[in-house]
Amino acid sequence: MSERITDIGSPNYKQFLPPVIKKNYGKWKYHETPKPGVLMHVAESGDKIFSVRIASPRLLGIKSIRYFLSVADKFCDGYLRWTTRNNVEFLTEKEENVEPLIEELQANGWPAGGTGNSASNMLHTQGWVHCHTSATDASGVVKAIMDELFEDFANHTLPGKLKLAMACCLNMCGAVHASDIAVLGIHRRPPKVIHELINTICEIPTTIAACPTGAIRQDMRDGKKSMKIVDEQCMFCGACYTACPNMPISDPLNDGLSIWVGGKCSNARSKPKFTKLAIPFLPNNPPRWPEVVDAVKTIVNVYKAHAKKYERVGEMIERIGWPKFFKLTGFQFTKYHIDDYRLATTTYQTSTQLRRS
Amino acid sequence: MGFELDGKTYETDEDGYLIDIGSWTKEVADYFAIETGLDGLTEKHWQVVNFLRDYYSEYQIAPMVKILIKSITKSELIMGDDVGNKRGASKMLYELFPLGPGIQACKIAGLPKPTGCV
Amino acid sequence: MSQTPQLDELKKGPWPSFVKEIENEAETKPMAKDLLLQLEQSYKDKITHWKHGGVVGVRGYGAGIIGRYTDSPDKFPGVSHFHTIRVNQPSGLYYTSKGLGEICDIWEKHGSGLTNLHGSTGDMVLLGCRTEDLEPVFEALTQKGWDLGGSGSDLRTPSCCLGMSRCEFACIDTMEITNECTHYYQDEMHRPAFPYKFKIKVSGCPNDCVSSIARSDMSIIGTWRDDIRIDQDQVKVYADGGMDIVEDVAMNCPTKCVSFKDGKLEIDNDNCVHCMHCINVMPKALRIGTDTGAVILLGAKAPIVEGAMMASVLVPFLKMEEPFEELKELIEEVWDIWDENGKNKERIAEFIERMGKGEFVTAIGKETIPEMVNQPRENPYIFYDEFFVEE
Repeated sequence: MSERITDIGSPNYKQFLPPVIKKNYGKWKYHETPKPGVLMHVAESGDKIFSVRIASPRLLGIKSIRYFLSVADKFCDGYLRWTTRNNVEFLTEKEENVEPLIEELQANGWPAGGTGNSASNMLHTQGWVHCHTSATDASGVVKAIMDELFEDFANHTLPGKLKLAMACCLNMCGAVHASDIAVLGIHRRPPKVIHELINTICEIPTTIAACPTGAIRQDMRDGKKSMKIVDEQCMFCGACYTACPNMPISDPLNDGLSIWVGGKCSNARSKPKFTKLAIPFLPNNPPRWPEVVDAVKTIVNVYKAHAKKYERVGEMIERIGWPKFFKLTGFQFTKYHIDDYRLATTTYQTSTQLRRS
Repeated sequence: MGFELDGKTYETDEDGYLIDIGSWTKEVADYFAIETGLDGLTEKHWQVVNFLRDYYSEYQIAPMVKILIKSITKSELIMGDDVGNKRGASKMLYELFPLGPGIQACKIAGLPKPTGCV
Repeated sequence: MSQTPQLDELKKGPWPSFVKEIENEAETKPMAKDLLLQLEQSYKDKITHWKHGGVVGVRGYGAGIIGRYTDSPDKFPGVSHFHTIRVNQPSGLYYTSKGLGEICDIWEKHGSGLTNLHGSTGDMVLLGCRTEDLEPVFEALTQKGWDLGGSGSDLRTPSCCLGMSRCEFACIDTMEITNECTHYYQDEMHRPAFPYKFKIKVSGCPNDCVSSIARSDMSIIGTWRDDIRIDQDQVKVYADGGMDIVEDVAMNCPTKCVSFKDGKLEIDNDNCVHCMHCINVMPKALRIGTDTGAVILLGAKAPIVEGAMMASVLVPFLKMEEPFEELKELIEEVWDIWDENGKNKERIAEFIERMGKGEFVTAIGKETIPEMVNQPRENPYIFYDEFFVEE
């Protein structure tokens, strides 16, 4: 029996690099996007590499993966990669392989796109497919939204890059807090407290410390230690449920989704920014969440109509002002839109610089 | 789910942790040790188990792993001549409990199951 | 009559369908079949059907596997166990058909047939297997040169953009840095002993295509400190081609350090903040400098507990030369102080806020410099610790 192997780390990336990349590593000169879904990088040596990028749902079965590998074998000497936004790229030095690659993939349901100023893919979390804290599904919402925005994936139709993300709950296992448009699953009622099991299963101090607003207190029930929620202080984030199985918070009647806009990770032109609240609540309406899709589409339409070249959604909003944004989208500005957490006062309008309405 | 020991029934969850940690006994610890793949509990194991139980009794939470490692680092029984070596202590912890402090040591010591992936 | 009418709706439309993926595997895998049925149930009930938590692993590791159990094992026995295995991805997410094919073989034998390529942190996610399959999968993976990623209160799997492998903007070798950190810090990845998770993400340039500044405890972002390289002939090509260089480039510069006059583009490099906009827009005419290194930032996180945070500057410029000794020293200084003083489940961002960034920087032996802040403090609540004493 062979000795048990541990602590070897990831395989060295060098073995997976196509020869043209190995040869020109660190010596690339410029790139072009000859058509949507195709990148052409040119090295200082004059060598070129073509990357054909296709959409992927992130959740992939082995059958599809094996199909990709067979395509890579046929056109790319077996080389392919994934992008940091879950798309797949087929890598080839041969320009003559680009069109056949696109045709082959397209014919099997894998459309090319996601390059340049497009909606490249929507990062998302596990949702109902795998997560115990999810307020909604993620894959389904993403599918519905990307179906709607498909033309903006498959073409270079947008003023700037559009980075979309979805988190099925406030734990936000992804960059939802810094995307152009984000969807966030939310709860609207406090957790139930299952007292009988708390002191035998849960760490009470850990659960109390997990609450961002200090809404959880120690309690005694039938002579045993337990916890209680101060309802007025609870904002339904579910952090306590993450810490303690006996504080379930999912509520089919009241759970829903919120929409956020204007985040950005890149430093180009303006500094990175957080997303801001656009819509506090939309209902959970599987299988296609029409209200959510409509809202996202509305924002994209406003972005296309009003953004200057290169502007990201957040930059556009800062230029035209938030009042104009709410006017153009038709979204209602509510009391929920005004921050009331730690840094709230830094978000207030403390000047008279207001456009005429 | 559960198991029987000396005529008493102990309920466990699907990961095999006690549902009522108040029902823990030394015999339960021995049972969990075998069930999780150990040959039994040595004096070294018991030092760790007792540390975990004392800590939980005082603070109502399992100690952070770094705190557990700190206590092991100081233990002459466990570390021998290597007392004070933090990396060595981490290694010893996994030699005593190959499935790790969360999965194995806390289970054997009758502490609540550690939570989640987030 | 279909058992999954709602999910069937999500097979329609131009975007590739995750439902089709699950259905494809469900043809041969009862686990995938029951996942589909349970998912349809969730769509009907509008609630998740996964139980809280689940703690499973492989011997010698305290991380890398997320336990998961259905709350309805009688109805969906195929997902009575549905753990996920995080497999440490190769830096840059490059694969060969042979390498990835081996993973498919292993997973086909032992698991649900479903994967996420990739998980949010960057690992490959093998989605769904039973407890008894964990050790065999682990053994099969390591035999083929793969290993698990991080989870829990450990160093999570480092990840990066593709950097120098294909991008002319890359200022640092993101893939080598990531590979080096991954291999050097195996103990910290596999045996959680930190106060909470710690994530490292490496982006080759300030475009930050891996969202490092928003998502990592230690963010490593490439930059340069000499002059942007200008090819005036290519500038002319862009101008002649119809680009309005004043409007599109100069006006968008955040410090207005780019000027275009009489056909010549000039950059006041002393005032350039390396935002990448001009280079993004004119990649054939403008290139990053050659004296490159990284900005090291600390402290990004998602909202829980104290709110979402972006990473902030710790070191404005660090030379990044293999084997990255300076970087490792810095990482370990940060870990030492956080490990020693951090509370349970306290991210480094929250720890720095609790301690005060000024105190933190001093405590790890670094100098406080203006580059660390947007602006000095506005409030006068200063914890003076230097004062005179009467003799």
